[in-house]
Amino acid sequence: MSELNTQIKEVLIKALELEDITPADIEDDAPLFGQNKEGRGLGLDSIDALELGIAIKDNFGVSFSTVNEETRKHFASIDALAAYISANKKD
Amino acid sequence: MKAVAGKILFAVLSVLYPILVFCGLRFWGLSPRKLSILLLLLAAFHLISASRKKQPGAASRLKEGCFVAFLLACGVAAFALDNALVLKFYPVLVNVGMLFFFGATLFRKPSFVFRLATFADKRILQTADRSSVERYCDRVTLTWCIFFILNGSVALWTVLCADEKIWSLYNGLISYILMGILFVAEIGVRKMKQSQLQSYIPFSKIEADSRPDDSVVCFSGAGLSGDVKTWADFKADVSKVRQAVEAEPYTAWILNADDVYYFLVAIFALFQSQKKILFSANRQPEFIREIRKPDVGFLNDTGAEGALQIPKIIETYTAKNTWTPFDINAAKAAMYTSGTTGIPKEIPKEGWQYENEANALAERFAAGFANRNFYMTVNHHHIYGMAFSIFVPISAGLPIRRVRFEFPEELEQIVKEPAVIVASPAFLKRLAANRKEPLPFKKPPFWLSAGGLLPDEVANRVEELSGNGVQEIYGCTEAGAIATRRIREKKLWTPVPPNKISFAENGCLKIDSSYTDIGGFVTGDLGKIEDDGTFQLMGRADSIVKIEEKRISLPEVENRLRQTGVVRDVRVVPMTGKRQFLAAAIVLNDEGNARFKGEEKKDINAFFKQHLSGFLENTVQPKKWRYLEELPQDGMGKIKTREVQALFEIPESPNFKILKYHLEGNVLTVKMVIPSTSDYYDGHFPEFKLLPAVVQIDLILRFFRGFMKLPTTIEKMQRVKFSNPIFPEHPVTIEETYSPDTGKLAFKITGEDGKTCSGGTIVLKKENA
Repeated sequence: MSELNTQIKEVLIKALELEDITPADIEDDAPLFGQNKEGRGLGLDSIDALELGIAIKDNFGVSFSTVNEETRKHFASIDALAAYISANKKD
Repeated sequence: MKAVAGKILFAVLSVLYPILVFCGLRFWGLSPRKLSILLLLLAAFHLISASRKKQPGAASRLKEGCFVAFLLACGVAAFALDNALVLKFYPVLVNVGMLFFFGATLFRKPSFVFRLATFADKRILQTADRSSVERYCDRVTLTWCIFFILNGSVALWTVLCADEKIWSLYNGLISYILMGILFVAEIGVRKMKQSQLQSYIPFSKIEADSRPDDSVVCFSGAGLSGDVKTWADFKADVSKVRQAVEAEPYTAWILNADDVYYFLVAIFALFQSQKKILFSANRQPEFIREIRKPDVGFLNDTGAEGALQIPKIIETYTAKNTWTPFDINAAKAAMYTSGTTGIPKEIPKEGWQYENEANALAERFAAGFANRNFYMTVNHHHIYGMAFSIFVPISAGLPIRRVRFEFPEELEQIVKEPAVIVASPAFLKRLAANRKEPLPFKKPPFWLSAGGLLPDEVANRVEELSGNGVQEIYGCTEAGAIATRRIREKKLWTPVPPNKISFAENGCLKIDSSYTDIGGFVTGDLGKIEDDGTFQLMGRADSIVKIEEKRISLPEVENRLRQTGVVRDVRVVPMTGKRQFLAAAIVLNDEGNARFKGEEKKDINAFFKQHLSGFLENTVQPKKWRYLEELPQDGMGKIKTREVQALFEIPESPNFKILKYHLEGNVLTVKMVIPSTSDYYDGHFPEFKLLPAVVQIDLILRFFRGFMKLPTTIEKMQRVKFSNPIFPEHPVTIEETYSPDTGKLAFKITGEDGKTCSGGTIVLKKENA
């Protein structure tokens, strides 16, 4: 699980050309979009979501249907993404 | 010493004389004979102080002689006759003496008051204001003569027709009060006069005899005491250049002259012979070829290719009496702005625009400019430098320094001079940052700044250093100087009369004035206009960008970042790559540096992101951040979007940090620091961290690629030397000079202590592309 998490983080940093952070800086359960009350979170926006969706499809072979409330949930955090990817990965 | 004591005693006795005589006669019961001693004493003192004068002229000896003789005669008469009437003649005598003294100088110029004025300030003799000051002083001298006639007449009346009480009251008190009133009133009028530009003449209307021939037009050193060019030189040189340009078939001339004097000479020569002037700060051969049409000549003073050299013309031609005022409405010109895109844009200008602008500025700033020398730190080929340091001073007859100041240290030379300094934020920022102790100006300089925003703390620091705040100017090439503000006083801009500000249809500020075209000029600036006509600038209209369909004003993001109170300077730029996003280049202020000391970059980012998230949606928040020592700016102090964007095109790396960079032509300077956590030090001596040579070469090429946008395949390296180690956390400056013809890239890495760390030449393969 945690290895997948790290992979996802690497893909995310590369795809979104994020600067100044390493996979270690991204918390597994912090929100990817915007910030929560404690001020944690990556603060990504909807364009990033599209970009990230494509990168995940390219790297893990898992695609998302059109962006809807359901999809949004999968993008909530690294943990959520990892869960979705493991559940949908065709081995 | 004795002479001084004699003079003082004489003065005290003179002033108290009426009171002493009155008291002596009335209360002390002294006889006129005893009191006549006073007169004899006065005569003696006067004789002593007069005889000590070195080499008195015949006229002065005669005058002194007469005065002493009169005093003696009155004294002796009073003694012999024991008559009070003769005693009372003294005040009349003093008035007659003064009348002769002042009156004589009206016939034998310079007048007494002018002598006093020039004694106090020798500068008057060298300026165009001399004629008007002299006229004024003559009038003051005459006024005093009239005063002595009237005062003497009243004194005579008190001697002959009034009693002792009235005599002593008038001569011992009233006459002194009247004298005081006249004296104070004159000082008031003089102060008012001094705050005016007394010799101002719109520059097209200046006649050959409008200025004294020996008054200074330009000077080379710190002030007027060094090498100068006078009005006579100026007229002669204008006539020479005029002959030279009239001998050529051209109807327009490109003018580029570093020396303000040659620049001025050329302007008058060209306008007098009705040639159009293309003012170009750029003298690169490629650029000149682009703007030089077949009917265009080229005047220059630095040996530019294909140009007539102004100093050479002045050397070879013979001066003629050709000076004429010229028709300002027929005078045509053009200027070039660098433009936001970097491609120079020609802006047509007409003579009347320059002249009306100079008139308006001279009126607005008369009190600040009067009786000062003009110094500049900006290029006079652009509108701000030209208006303030060329057209205003030449019209006002104020002396201008021929060469501009490049470095703040140079100001040290002029602390004794009364100065107007036409400066830019770039110069003032450097001054504020580098100068530790105050600049001991005898008279605080009048500072002007334009070309970009002057940060508050820089303005405050300049005021602390020099004793005077900065007058900021807002303007543009098309409309000239539009408005002004003193930072410490208020944030709002006040239009320079007769400028009127309104909104154009597109929401941008529109300027109407005597120096814009009839329809006014629509700027590219957004703003808010207050009821009283003052206004606030809200950024450029083209600073509104769309980031992934969301409109955002870049200045708004910048202002939000400034709100944090830890930002000295900030520029937010739009970037496009895979997606559009904003990027922020920030210079932290002292508070910011202290606050984030030792923190990682991502934490500083997080601080700003956290602040912005209260105001801006995610999409329009900056995605990338750079923290610098200084924003990249050009010589005019303008920060170009393109250059800030270049910073973000070099991907951020945890291995090095760029502190500032500057690109000019083919010379690139990058100041950077390697953090101790950098991978660059791995695998080498863990205890003694040294930056490997291969990394140095890699960084040099990386910056070259990133900022110069050129490929970097190495063909070979020449004379490369690594002389001193580069340690972590010690900033170094990398200087790279590229020669496109040979493909050679010379580099030098210097530490903050000035030691060279490495240097050499890399020869790059010329790509076919």
